[in-house]
Amino acid sequence: MESQIREAAEALAIGDPLAALNRVALRDDPSALALRGIAMAQLGEFDRARVLLRGAVRAFGPKQLLARARCIVAEAEIALASRDLGWPVKALNEAQQTLEKHGDQLNAVYARYVGARRLLLIGQPDKAAQEVDADNPASLPPALETIRELIISGIAIRRLEVRRARSALKQAERSSHEARIPALVAEVANVIESLELPAARLITQRCERYVLLDEVEELMSSKAFIVDACRHSVRLDGQVVSLVTRPVLFTLLRVMAEAWPDDVSRDELVARAFRAKGVDESYRARLRVEIGRLRRLLKPLAKVRATSQGFVLEPVGARKVVVLAMPIEEKHGVVLALLSDGECWSSSAIALALNWGQRSVQRALDALASEEKVCSFGRGRARRWRIPPMPGFATILLLPAALPVD
Amino acid sequence: MKKLNAEILNEYGPYQGAEAVHGVTFDGKRVWFASGDKLNAIDPDSTKPVDSINISAEAGTAFDGRHLFQIANDKIQKLDPTTGQVLATIPAPDGSSGLAWAEGSLWVGQYQKRKIVQLDPQTGEVLRDIESNRYVTGVTWLNGELWHGTWEDDNSELRRLNPQSGEVIDSFAMPQGTGVSGLESDGRDRFFCGGGNSGKLRVVRCIRD
Repeated sequence: MESQIREAAEALAIGDPLAALNRVALRDDPSALALRGIAMAQLGEFDRARVLLRGAVRAFGPKQLLARARCIVAEAEIALASRDLGWPVKALNEAQQTLEKHGDQLNAVYARYVGARRLLLIGQPDKAAQEVDADNPASLPPALETIRELIISGIAIRRLEVRRARSALKQAERSSHEARIPALVAEVANVIESLELPAARLITQRCERYVLLDEVEELMSSKAFIVDACRHSVRLDGQVVSLVTRPVLFTLLRVMAEAWPDDVSRDELVARAFRAKGVDESYRARLRVEIGRLRRLLKPLAKVRATSQGFVLEPVGARKVVVLAMPIEEKHGVVLALLSDGECWSSSAIALALNWGQRSVQRALDALASEEKVCSFGRGRARRWRIPPMPGFATILLLPAALPVD
Repeated sequence: MKKLNAEILNEYGPYQGAEAVHGVTFDGKRVWFASGDKLNAIDPDSTKPVDSINISAEAGTAFDGRHLFQIANDKIQKLDPTTGQVLATIPAPDGSSGLAWAEGSLWVGQYQKRKIVQLDPQTGEVLRDIESNRYVTGVTWLNGELWHGTWEDDNSELRRLNPQSGEVIDSFAMPQGTGVSGLESDGRDRFFCGGGNSGKLRVVRCIRD
């Protein structure tokens, strides 16, 4: 009996859930329940996996701390995979400590990585980096090494350190082949592939083209004055001014940046920023106020000069102006970018990852659903949202910062 | 790391018309393996063949507690293991190789396409197509050693790994030209290895000092 448990565990360790199930599918003892749960998770049957793992925790009883802790880590990872980001982090941390205390170093590291991956998903690469740097076990098994390098590459991508991301991915590719786990090999290959897809559009007055993430990185360290419409900020010489909470000001700035070095008429600015059809004196007054606010925000980096027609952007040192935009722009593009990983997201996870209110998320999802760009299944708290992946674009790479929906 | 030789205790086959050893499953008492035109049952203690069912058996084998399921070309046959009688036949997805029964469904591995298909065992209806392109739950239940069969350019080894570090503790070289495909252990010191395209099932013992 015990040998079958071990064999099933071995099969799962090399990513072969079918071989594992051939050993334990007919058994209901606690270990078998746990292994069935892990196998179901490897098959993407998350709901069934959760039920089995919870059954295992109950069956193990309070004395079997180690086994229970393993189940909790597995459950946390399932929550992560099903984009249910609100699960109790505390339980995961406790499980990790239990595993460490009982000498299960491998699963303890794994638990830490599950936490780091969650932090990465909710846009906290710095915190995720602390988790990965916290321990550097001399030699990890290849599968764990792969996951570590995937996290490192994810952090590097979020920080726009593409060269570093690529070298981590090279390492991940090597160790994933050593691990010989098909799903892991494929996952690494997908990330590598995504770096070869357009991550953004570069817009100037003269042209507009798609760029890879490498070019975005180069641009960020160039001398250009960059209006970053992916993360709603302005950059010049490493200085960043965030306009995340100022959508109207950002629109004014972007319109002027796209026209640079020419000016933009007052009428056009009013139409674009206030979505107004006709322009009357009250709108012109409001425009003056908003331009004044924008001038104050941009003070160290650029001036906004009035012309006879309207306004023109003048970056310090007469630098080149470029606009960096999402590869596909639409009203709720950030939600689509998040969902473009092809996973099923809960609306609360989207709210957490974008730092939005639950209601704004719901409104965005309803709008997208009415255009058939997203679909949902399940009900109530179990409701999940997904999109058919948009081929040909790496919308996920430049995940936007939190952006209020007005 | 020590380099040791694996001792081949027994070889079965190749069977007439069988190009390879395919699915291997353990029904609690006997090891069943598919060898192209037969399902063979072996007593793991005596390593003697105790039973066989004449049936096209080109790929995965599974057991649901009462019946054996066997992939044969484009269908899956449900068998009574005691009589060998085919009780039902359902269509199998293209390129099916691995098979398992679990949670009331049949799970079919299409390893070439990196897909797993979930089927209704009664009707053969496809319930879901699973792309394996994301690795989920690497929580490991291993406390002891991890065995791993490798097979490259006609040289194959059985390796014992430290699951904590992934380090190879021992490696047992199989004689030149003997492949390892599918590894079943009897929970002690013996392994049942499919011999890949040699059409043999080998019982191997790895002796450590």
